[in-house]
Amino acid sequence: MIDFTLSKKQRELKEGIHNLGKFVVRPMSLSMDKNHEVPEDFLRNFINMASSFRGSVGQWGSATGEEEKPREPGRISETNRTAAIASEELAWADAALVLSLPGPGLGGPPVRATGTPEQRARFFGMFGDMTKGPLRWGAYGLTEPGAGSDVSGIRTSARRDGDHWVLNGRKCYITNGARAIWTVIFATVDPSLGRAGHRAFVVEKGTPGFEVGKIEEKMGLRANETAELVLEDCRVPDQNLLGGEGAYVSKEKGFMTAMKTFDNTRPLVGAMAVGIGRAAYEYARDFVKDNYVLGRPIPRYAAIAERLARVGRRLDAARMLVWRATYMADLAMPNAKEASMAKAAAGQAATAACIEAIEICGAHGSLVTEHALLEKWFRDIKVYDIFEGTGNIQRVVISKRLMPALKSF
Amino acid sequence: MIDFELSEDQRLVQQSVADFAKSTLAGRVREIEKARAVPEDLRRLAHEMALGLVDVPESAGGQGLGMLTSVLMEEELGAADAAAAFGLAGPGAFGAALVELGTAEQAQAELAAFAEADAFGRFGAVAWSEAAPNRARAGFTTVATRADTGWSITGKKAFVVNAHLADRFVVFAQVDADRGWDGIGAFVVHRDNPGLAAGARHDTLGLDAADFGEIELTGAVVAATARLEGDVGEGGFTRAALRFFAKRALVVAARAVGLARFAFDLALEHVENRKAFGKPIGHFQAVAFALSDRHMDVEAARWMLWKAAHAWDAKAKEEHALLATARAAAFALEAAMRTADECVGLHGGSGFIRDLVAEKLMRDAKQLALCGPSAEQLDQLAAALELGAPLDPAVVLPTPDTQAIFT
Repeated sequence: MIDFTLSKKQRELKEGIHNLGKFVVRPMSLSMDKNHEVPEDFLRNFINMASSFRGSVGQWGSATGEEEKPREPGRISETNRTAAIASEELAWADAALVLSLPGPGLGGPPVRATGTPEQRARFFGMFGDMTKGPLRWGAYGLTEPGAGSDVSGIRTSARRDGDHWVLNGRKCYITNGARAIWTVIFATVDPSLGRAGHRAFVVEKGTPGFEVGKIEEKMGLRANETAELVLEDCRVPDQNLLGGEGAYVSKEKGFMTAMKTFDNTRPLVGAMAVGIGRAAYEYARDFVKDNYVLGRPIPRYAAIAERLARVGRRLDAARMLVWRATYMADLAMPNAKEASMAKAAAGQAATAACIEAIEICGAHGSLVTEHALLEKWFRDIKVYDIFEGTGNIQRVVISKRLMPALKSF
Repeated sequence: MIDFELSEDQRLVQQSVADFAKSTLAGRVREIEKARAVPEDLRRLAHEMALGLVDVPESAGGQGLGMLTSVLMEEELGAADAAAAFGLAGPGAFGAALVELGTAEQAQAELAAFAEADAFGRFGAVAWSEAAPNRARAGFTTVATRADTGWSITGKKAFVVNAHLADRFVVFAQVDADRGWDGIGAFVVHRDNPGLAAGARHDTLGLDAADFGEIELTGAVVAATARLEGDVGEGGFTRAALRFFAKRALVVAARAVGLARFAFDLALEHVENRKAFGKPIGHFQAVAFALSDRHMDVEAARWMLWKAAHAWDAKAKEEHALLATARAAAFALEAAMRTADECVGLHGGSGFIRDLVAEKLMRDAKQLALCGPSAEQLDQLAAALELGAPLDPAVVLPTPDTQAIFT
């Protein structure tokens, strides 16, 4: 049955996150940005306050990486749709916080999709009960200095040596890379094999030869850690090859493992982008309301009203593509095209929203103050059109789905 | 719960309209265009399927299937020929005006005739825009004055859809000049009413099958019961008029989404088949990415319309439904224009030649955007709702003289 209203549970979740975001997170937002850190005690407090909706607020859908409980047959999961609502709302408060939430993060999906039952139990089990024990993160290492959008070009090498693999290479722009207890590292057994040579390993922190390189200084999302990871003759046991050697018999499995992650996460990244864009939109809207509508009207009011409306409807359009992609994910329908559409539209719509919002507010909009976070959102948003596949890469995915005969450009 | 799954009934309507559109309309697009009307055999078929009565409430003799079903139907029609959608019989805008502005009794009395078996040639119309500008605030030159027990209407209305086909009209007029927008009214006038005459048919950029024209009222006298009062109380007449325009905007926008889908499919087929520099032109990124963007346009527009239509059907708060509608319709009208434009562009020279339908889609897309509130007007409505500004009719309703629209 067609419906675009939230369930009671989702409404409560959204409202809960909104209030936490407004009264607890946003007041801390600027200082976290300046200090390049989400303080651990703050995170712990936040998690405890958010415990009622734990599992929905995760970085990429699930805060703990716990496997979903089996459902009664015939009952359709709403996990992805609910995660989209939660992600938008928390990103509305502070996007860097979303990325900094403990849990396996982007490392979760490949372990869930490709890991053996033993691997899933072991790697997810390592997080323990974070409400009592220490906070822990996972990470995802795909991008390299020489290979970004063209994933098939990765050069980090994997060489078998007895019951171990020896990894060598560099991974960059890894979210939570330095603090992660393990990182899913993509490497190649033979670059000449292209995608067929790819293997995914779970590399644990502290493994000899696995070091943290540079911590990046970024335009935005400064409270969230982005690290370089260096592998030098790093020996990883056989048991850490995701899915075991058998999983790579079919030619493109390694690559597909890397890509499959994105069908579920891209819509949520889109949802976060919409959240940031909405924050900027609402800021500009309230600014216009206070200064033009309720105060003295200015001659340019109609023009500004129209600009606001255009921003508003573009964000709405992006949100509908996000909802559509998550709906398809929940129904286990193939959604690679829709996931890319959601991400592409949201990244651009939200970036445009931030740019427009600053212009609408004028000089005031660029001020750095604890109450006016507009300039921060402007800095935060741009990467949403870049990470997890740039806008152009999304269009490559969409194009290939639209034109099955198109294998490559 | 967020759910994109259509009900069995909705799928059935969607499928049967799609079948009708594909098997009968699609092959005759240029014939319909040349004839500047939808031929009788097609109108008979559509009437047998009761397409014109889908969103008319059951109490007024319609099917009462709601806005969402209506939006599904209009997209399918638009995907075959958006122009023909205007030329099929039925109450159309007239029906929506009666439902929003009239009482249940008025709606029933005026709409029952459209359900009759031989009503495949029966059209309704709404006369909103003015042939001559009036610099006074509301902008209506047409006036209604008291006459005995009823009203006498005088003035020339322009940009009326079905001006020559309709057998009944809703005519908007200034009743009380001193009260500006608060002094406008709407009246049902039948074609055979003395003092009503159709004027010239407009030649237009697109939607050739639609009958656009003027009607002139010269002391046309109607009974007191012919006046449509709108909402009693708070919202008043203009709030009801706003609802009428919003719901019509959704219908027109759904046709626009259908048109956009048609243009997209045409463009896709072309770029996969046309070869240049040794490969299909779709296999160049500049072309493929443009196509991807238009695909996003079409899909996003459709889901936005569904959300807005659902808001009306679910009886959401009126402000909420109005906002969703304003955003969805504005987005869809512009998305259709972008897609049709891209379709012609990707065809290159052949897109400009009338052998192909691409050029028609581009003309129709622009024309469609004028059939009801424009994107710019809808944006003003959305902004007013979002900013909590008063819904000043001068801002949120189409102006009847300057920047006039087709109704």
